[in-house]
Amino acid sequence: MIDRRTSLRRTFELHVPLAMIVAFALFPYLWMVLTSVKPDADILQWPLRYWPSQLTHEHYVTLLARTSFAANMGNSLIVAVGATAVGLAAAIPAAYAFSRFRFPGRRALLVGFLTANMFPIVLLILPIFVLMRMLGLLDTFVGVIAGHATFAIPFSIWMLTSYFAAIPIELDEAATIDGASRLQAIRLVILPVAMPGIVTTAIYIFITSWNEYLFAMMLAGQDVRTVTVALQLFIGEFSIQWGLLTAGGTLVALPATILFLIIQKRLTGGLTAGAVKS
Amino acid sequence: MTNTLQDAGMSRRKATKVIAGAVLGAGLARPAIAQAITVRWWYHFDNPQHTPAELIAKFEKENPGIKVQAESIPWGGGNDYATRMFAAVIANNAPDCALVKISNQARLLEMRALHPIDDMVRGWSARGDIADDVWRVNRGADGKQYYLPIQYVVLYLYYRADLLQQAGLQPPKTFDDFLAAAKATTKGDVYGFGMRGGGGGHDHWGSFVLGAGANFDKGGMVSPQALAANRWFVNLHREHKVFPPSAPTDGFRQIVDGFKAGRTAMTIHHIGSANEMVQALGDRVSAVPVPRSPQGTGWTSFGDESNAIFASSRNKEAAFRWIAFLSTAENNVAFNKLTGQLTITTSGARSWDLHPQRFVDATSQSLPIATVLPDRPQTPDFTRTVWPTNMQRALLGQIAPDEMMQTIEKHFNG
Amino acid sequence: MSQHSSRRDTVPLTPYAFLAPALIITGLVVLVPALRTFWMSLQDLILYRPDAARFIGLGNVIRAFGDEVFWISLRQSLLWIVLSVGLQFLLGFATALLLNQSFWWRSAARALIVIPWALPSVIIGLMWTWMYDFNLGVLNDMLMRLGLIARPVAWLADPDLAFYCVVLTLVWQGFPFFAVTILAGLQSIPADQLEAAEIDGATRWQRLRHVTIPGLADIIMTALLLRIIWVANSLDVILLMTGGGPGYATHTLPLYAFQKAYSAMEYGYGAALAVILTALLMVVVMGYVRRSSRGIAT
Repeated sequence: MIDRRTSLRRTFELHVPLAMIVAFALFPYLWMVLTSVKPDADILQWPLRYWPSQLTHEHYVTLLARTSFAANMGNSLIVAVGATAVGLAAAIPAAYAFSRFRFPGRRALLVGFLTANMFPIVLLILPIFVLMRMLGLLDTFVGVIAGHATFAIPFSIWMLTSYFAAIPIELDEAATIDGASRLQAIRLVILPVAMPGIVTTAIYIFITSWNEYLFAMMLAGQDVRTVTVALQLFIGEFSIQWGLLTAGGTLVALPATILFLIIQKRLTGGLTAGAVKS
Repeated sequence: MTNTLQDAGMSRRKATKVIAGAVLGAGLARPAIAQAITVRWWYHFDNPQHTPAELIAKFEKENPGIKVQAESIPWGGGNDYATRMFAAVIANNAPDCALVKISNQARLLEMRALHPIDDMVRGWSARGDIADDVWRVNRGADGKQYYLPIQYVVLYLYYRADLLQQAGLQPPKTFDDFLAAAKATTKGDVYGFGMRGGGGGHDHWGSFVLGAGANFDKGGMVSPQALAANRWFVNLHREHKVFPPSAPTDGFRQIVDGFKAGRTAMTIHHIGSANEMVQALGDRVSAVPVPRSPQGTGWTSFGDESNAIFASSRNKEAAFRWIAFLSTAENNVAFNKLTGQLTITTSGARSWDLHPQRFVDATSQSLPIATVLPDRPQTPDFTRTVWPTNMQRALLGQIAPDEMMQTIEKHFNG
Repeated sequence: MSQHSSRRDTVPLTPYAFLAPALIITGLVVLVPALRTFWMSLQDLILYRPDAARFIGLGNVIRAFGDEVFWISLRQSLLWIVLSVGLQFLLGFATALLLNQSFWWRSAARALIVIPWALPSVIIGLMWTWMYDFNLGVLNDMLMRLGLIARPVAWLADPDLAFYCVVLTLVWQGFPFFAVTILAGLQSIPADQLEAAEIDGATRWQRLRHVTIPGLADIIMTALLLRIIWVANSLDVILLMTGGGPGYATHTLPLYAFQKAYSAMEYGYGAALAVILTALLMVVVMGYVRRSSRGIAT
């Protein structure tokens, strides 16, 4: 009896609202997936055709065999992984410094990093383009990754500073008293305890970089073209390749989603609680 | 161990250099040994499955020593392509040559970004295969030739033959015919005319307002007949309701898709969408030139595309050979098969079989009234923001039609 | 505390060394271009007439204050930020709380929630425009089948609706960010505190109010701040869906700056609009830094 009441309550307090949210999140994507397996004639039919007259994988075949989409996915992967690596490598020490030291200029620098994120990129892109040209970085992975560092580093610094600041300072002090160097303290204490925050930050950079268009369009030529720019190529002056576009859109969401499916297990409770108590 | 590491570092550096060098083009650091000249060329195709690779292979075979490095640039509604091009000009990184449209010519000339090709054209044997009128339309404001035409489209009126027949009407020839046809076909889920109110839709408006005598000279937008024509056009929506309610923000995709789906009875577009319309509607779709004003005047948009050579190019002769190759008879036909537009060459047009004949006819019958917007620096901003914003406000009744015309007048003539 | 201050005395250079990589990269790719753009904002600069550029100081800012479209865009930018970020946050927070419980389909739910965020704006803009489409949109079709509307609605062409339609799209795109961020933050709330509160007889709402939210305050504030900045500057979805129309109905400040800088090529004026936007955001940030708890920025 009690069991049934609890399970009924759980249904209404957990499963139903969450199912609604998941449905909201998923609907446009499912509509796209459905479109991607329709023959061309079905896509723009009126009255609307919900279910394909026949399932087809022709758009996927065309996409992968007759356009550069697969190579563009690879380029995007390089750029997104690169941006994540650069972002974290620069931001972890910086965030550690902001959360563990009090030094002259700290506040100004912290605000400064945020200001870096405030300027609309559309108006920065022209000077950045000229700069990359001077540095010889146009049409290179390094150039696009450097472009993505403009949002990756400031964002990571702020997120990580607040995650690090939530870790009691006694933890790393205890480690240093035990004879650990500062770098060891970071590696052995801060990083493990802040792992959920670091994972979240990494996901953010990866996804933002994966989805970024303007830098990729301006700074990268054909050889390092990313997937967002490739998708834009399906939208021509006089026609839209709906089949290719929806097939591409279906595939483009997969890496980040799979990545999150793998690492979401890191987002489970109890980590900090245990660490603080010890 | 150390050696391997150094080697690895070395080869990576070398690789980066090679990549950077290759992409930055031969213009920057031309290796002393290489005889081959590389021509960098920018283009945009609507269908990403199409590539110019075969044309390039043919050209390179005919022109040993010249390599063509073609790069497709996202069109992005025209914004991306133009932004990328102007950024490249500013950063001194422009390609040797690129596909361009007249609407950007004035701005490119102000930046002194283009190289005149008059001399080279004079020595080009196939120049006579492009009609004199086309050369004239593309000439720069300073009288020099910068653009080498490659393809074109002309906007005309698509109509549903079956719906007009049901209403007992002929395809419209005049504005009055048009209004009658639009009213007769607006019923149930169908609207008479799929009007494009989003960016780029000035072509639709132009047929009825520029066609009735409005123009871009001083006072040309606020003359009595211009104001009256614009009021008439706005009333098609506000009073007669022959446009779908979504017209204010509809773009080319919505008007073409709406027409294909049978939700509109007429719309204005060009031959580029003829094949997909026939695929969807078969014989039920046909085309005529856009209707004319009561005075017999008319206006329709000439959709131009040319190649131009940039002033910064170090390989102007080679670049010209490539763009001239593309505008030569059978090469030009092959090129237009990739883009779905019409060949610019007289010889190529004779054996044209890419589109059903009735649409080719509608195009050629439209040529007498086909023209381009004035070649002025204000034009791109007019088509992208000034016209859509004010047209939308007028269609929604937020401003009076006359106010819209005054804003356009001010935009062009201070 | 004494240890803390002694550390400050003995290693004054350490924090700067830790900051160096971030400073060098950001300085190069952000500061230098930003200063250039700022410099251009002080000029009457038409991109296609670079030689005719002249210094006009605050002339562009003064021009903006007299520009009706600037005020419309500014007002809509504020509404845009408040609505988009506010709704993203509320939905994301609720999602995080739900996803933090354990149930059999949790892994799947967590991954599926991320999908909207994992899509590029170009896809989002096109798919939503298509769903909102007057003639062929699935939204009109479904609402009509359900009998909720009698005739199709021109969602994006109606000035009263277009803005909220675009906001809904942005909420959809952005709420997973809050869900994931807050979910991560929830892991740092000591489980024993929640248990203690439960044993003391606190209701679920009280536990949320007195244990969870205070524990998350820092993360929430930071996430809100970063999201406000991101949303304030985002224009690709609007650009794709309405281009700022109908009329000025979906104009925001970055969109207007973009139009001025690239369509009209009045780069000086566009840059000035961007500088104004940055200055306004700066005010928000300073307010945050003053009030921030737990000493992140003290």
